[in-house]
Amino acid sequence: MTITGEVGAWGARGKGAEPAVTARGLTKVYGRGDTAVHALRGVDVSFSSGAFTAIMGPSGSGKSTLMHCLAGLDTVSGGQVRIGDVELTGLNDRQLTLLRRERIGFVFQAFNLLPTLTAEQNIRLPLEIAGRLADPELFDLVVGTVGLRDRLGHKPSELSGGQQQRVAVARALISGPQVIFADEPTGNLDSRSGAEVLSFLRTSVRELDQTIVMVTHDPVAASYADRVVFLRDGLLVSELVGPTPQSVLDTLMKLEA
Amino acid sequence: MLRTTLAGLRAHRLRLMLTSLAIALGVGFIAGTFVLTDTIEAGFTQKFAAAADRIDVAVLPGPDKGDEPSAISDATLEKIRATEGVADAQGLVRGTSALIGKDGKAAGDYPTVGISLPEGALNRTSIVSGRAPRTPTEAVLDEGTARTRGFKVGDTVAVLDSENARHEFTLVGLFDIGLDQEIGFTGAVGYTTDTARKMTGQRGFREVDVAAAEGVSQETLRASVAAVVGAGHQVKTGERYAADLAKANGASSEFLTLGLLLFGVVAMFVAALVIYNTFNILVAQRTREMALLRCIGATRGQVFGSIVLESAVVGLLSSVLGLLLGYGMGAGALAVLTAVGAPLPSVAASLTPRTIVLGLVIGLTVTVGAALLPARSATRVAPIAALRSQAEEQTFKAGLVRMIFAALFLVSGAGITAAGMAMKPGETALVVVMAGCSLVFLAVLTLGPVIVKPLSAFAGWVPARLFGVPGRLAVDNSRRNPKRSATTTVALTVGVTLMTVISVLTGTIRVTYAHQLDEQFPVDYLVRSQDRSSELPRAIAEDLRTRPELTAVVAFRGSTARLGTGDEKYEVGTFTPAPGFTPKLNEGSIDRLVPGAALVADHVAERLKVGVGDRITVRTAKAGAVELSIVGVSNQESGLSGVTVPEREFDRYFGEVGDSQVIVNYSDGVDPDRALMVIEAATRPYPTAKVTSSTEVRGEFDEALDMMLMIITGLLGLAVLISLLGIANTLSLSVHERTRESALLRALGLTRPQLRRMLSVEALVLGLIGALVGVVLGIGFGWAAARTMTENVIFQLPVPQILSFVALSGLAGVLAAVLPARRAARASVVGSLASG
Repeated sequence: MTITGEVGAWGARGKGAEPAVTARGLTKVYGRGDTAVHALRGVDVSFSSGAFTAIMGPSGSGKSTLMHCLAGLDTVSGGQVRIGDVELTGLNDRQLTLLRRERIGFVFQAFNLLPTLTAEQNIRLPLEIAGRLADPELFDLVVGTVGLRDRLGHKPSELSGGQQQRVAVARALISGPQVIFADEPTGNLDSRSGAEVLSFLRTSVRELDQTIVMVTHDPVAASYADRVVFLRDGLLVSELVGPTPQSVLDTLMKLEA
Repeated sequence: MLRTTLAGLRAHRLRLMLTSLAIALGVGFIAGTFVLTDTIEAGFTQKFAAAADRIDVAVLPGPDKGDEPSAISDATLEKIRATEGVADAQGLVRGTSALIGKDGKAAGDYPTVGISLPEGALNRTSIVSGRAPRTPTEAVLDEGTARTRGFKVGDTVAVLDSENARHEFTLVGLFDIGLDQEIGFTGAVGYTTDTARKMTGQRGFREVDVAAAEGVSQETLRASVAAVVGAGHQVKTGERYAADLAKANGASSEFLTLGLLLFGVVAMFVAALVIYNTFNILVAQRTREMALLRCIGATRGQVFGSIVLESAVVGLLSSVLGLLLGYGMGAGALAVLTAVGAPLPSVAASLTPRTIVLGLVIGLTVTVGAALLPARSATRVAPIAALRSQAEEQTFKAGLVRMIFAALFLVSGAGITAAGMAMKPGETALVVVMAGCSLVFLAVLTLGPVIVKPLSAFAGWVPARLFGVPGRLAVDNSRRNPKRSATTTVALTVGVTLMTVISVLTGTIRVTYAHQLDEQFPVDYLVRSQDRSSELPRAIAEDLRTRPELTAVVAFRGSTARLGTGDEKYEVGTFTPAPGFTPKLNEGSIDRLVPGAALVADHVAERLKVGVGDRITVRTAKAGAVELSIVGVSNQESGLSGVTVPEREFDRYFGEVGDSQVIVNYSDGVDPDRALMVIEAATRPYPTAKVTSSTEVRGEFDEALDMMLMIITGLLGLAVLISLLGIANTLSLSVHERTRESALLRALGLTRPQLRRMLSVEALVLGLIGALVGVVLGIGFGWAAARTMTENVIFQLPVPQILSFVALSGLAGVLAAVLPARRAARASVVGSLASG
């Protein structure tokens, strides 16, 4: 367990390849003048490809904002973000949208699926929006991995919460994105379903060599990751490689203190 | 609770604005109708009163006796003048005196009216330039005629008297026609009283106006004049006279009011659908809010009350807005009518208390009434719903009650419609068919949610393939809440159905009429007198027969006579035979029309209960009673008179009557323009003989139909506009509901234009569904209604028009989606994901 004030180095378990996502001096300010809120105050961080990284921090630490900025969902106030070799800052809405479409997968806490579409249609949706065809082998592999083969024709309302999140994971995987951002993917699930979903995320990193960045406040969820980075008051303050629920909890306690 | 409701209203200001606009438009139309007619009426009353101020007593002849319009004789006028208390009495003359235009032919389609301008204080005609006529060689013209015919003060004008003799006058002035609708239509020439009598050939006066001597009251004068003129005349005080005139005028404007109100009712019905839908969606969206209220102790009654109160506030505000709108529309319509030259009094538009009360009551009742059902469903929200995190997707199952009602409406509606179509064509049949069609429409309204799903698949087939993922998502969205989609589209269906009915009816009438014209006898030209009733010299037809360019010159003549022992007069006529002209008969043969024989028209045969082989007595003017045997029955399309006798016999019975009309065909290979020149040359010596070509007649008829179609479609456009507000409303509420869904799609890589396109396609599909149902119903209803109008209807589908209705509805739907789509696309992804 290492705690460093300056976290810019690659995680120890990074596979040594080019980082999938990089942020340099990232700042984000909401509002202006007296009411300005500095959500991010200059974050430098990299996420290695093929690794599962968790972002943690107390409420209001800026972890969701960081994810939104990294994923091109929100504009940044200062600094740089790169996804692979693409610089996000300076891209317009359309370019950002196309980038999300091509290179990023999402799993949200809730409301992940379109209620009018079946599970299979939901999974294929990103590809269809991009006008691409699903690789049948990949589709088969993904559906098999998340265990949804007999549920493909169901509408979201006919699926359990855990099944819905698994569909969301499958959808994120299907386009083979450079990185998947998961925002509290188990926040609405009971512990058993949550464990299932986290296992799938982990498996996809191992077997499909997928890069995943997950925001969570649950130490158990974070322990599934290869590496955990900690945020407080808009700054990256700590990092943990090979986390266990206990080590994550300890770090959090220290941050709160 | 009241405070909660008001706070809710403030919070949903924008959302309720479109709803308010829907009600305001409906109320505005109704209020506008009243503003328009009230103002016109008030103006007329005021003008009549002003005109009647000059006269103390008016004497009018009794009802017409027989053919002679009743009039007041010279002797009566003299008696009135001699009555004690009378300062002055003037007789008014009115008749026909055709003005000759600069081309030497009688001016206009109808002959101008000849009137007298009495001298002194009793003259009610106002001269606007020049002066009134004083000598027998002076005349005045109304401003409009002078302008269109190019005459100015100082010119010499030629006018025909009642015997068609030409007289010349010096034009000494122009007058204002005031409120006289007849003169507004035909134009008029004014003379001194004596000249007017000579020119119009009228023996008596239409009216005698009396001025009282000083100190004599109107009522006293009325009594003494009434005693002098005796029974058979109406004697009224000036005040009463003005009131009666205003009342008669009011009766005619009532017709206009009723007609316009019909469209107002349609608009209000559509507005009610829009309101119902809006409140339904609002209630659905606020399920958690309602549940929370119930959790913290609000009773069902309070929840119900809060929704009703909300609707009442919306209804009241939009009714007030509607009244203002109506005032503007009424004033605008007045300005337009005045600008196109309708003879209307110029007064400021008036918003009467009656209009205000009616507008408020209608707006309030419709709004609250439409919100009652949604309010009731709000009371069914269980308190526990507050704890559920996500509103459930609405599912719809066609209930048994719905199906039973729909079947009931459909079967009874179809039955009644069929019964109406089986009836003899006429007004009763039309009313029955309309009732049946209304029931069928109710069936469709009830079935709406059931049929909207397959229809959206049908209407969305092309868009789903054309617009890729956004297209397919849009088609899915258009049917995810069938009840909502159905109500939204039915509002549009109402307008489109009515428009289609009107377009089918006019198309059918057009074709049927054209076919009837062709059936009769393909006439190229028609020569008749300007006033349609006076005779043409036989010389015209005789002259035309000598021209080699023309064939088949047929002259019709007619007179009236009593048949059998009855007192009623029938038209008895004849025609000059010509090759190629064989009038169509229902029964019998034209070849048997020999001296002593007659053809009767079908309506006469029916009335007198006679047929081929029977005998009929005609009491003729010259030959006394003659007994004729009936050898054929003609129908209306043949153009023949009630009784038709051979040409020579006619002369023997009625003398040398002139031709009523002459039909002319030109020979093959002759240039139509050349033929027209020949006919015009032959008629030149007769100023009142007017030549019309059949293409012109058809053109006029077509124009009249087109005009009607345009006006009705325009008025129905309001209902369509309101239904579009409904589409915009439903969409913007749906957009609001699907904020997170849209954000998710954006996160997954849907671009802003794609998101906008998705909503546009959804609106397009909704518009198309509404239009398709409307067009199918409209064609059916139009067909049924056309069958009730005449026999042998040739059904005509104006395909381009109907296609344009569908296309315009789709386009309008897309337009309605512009604002909601913009708002949806502008929303920030992060903000929407976090919200609610």
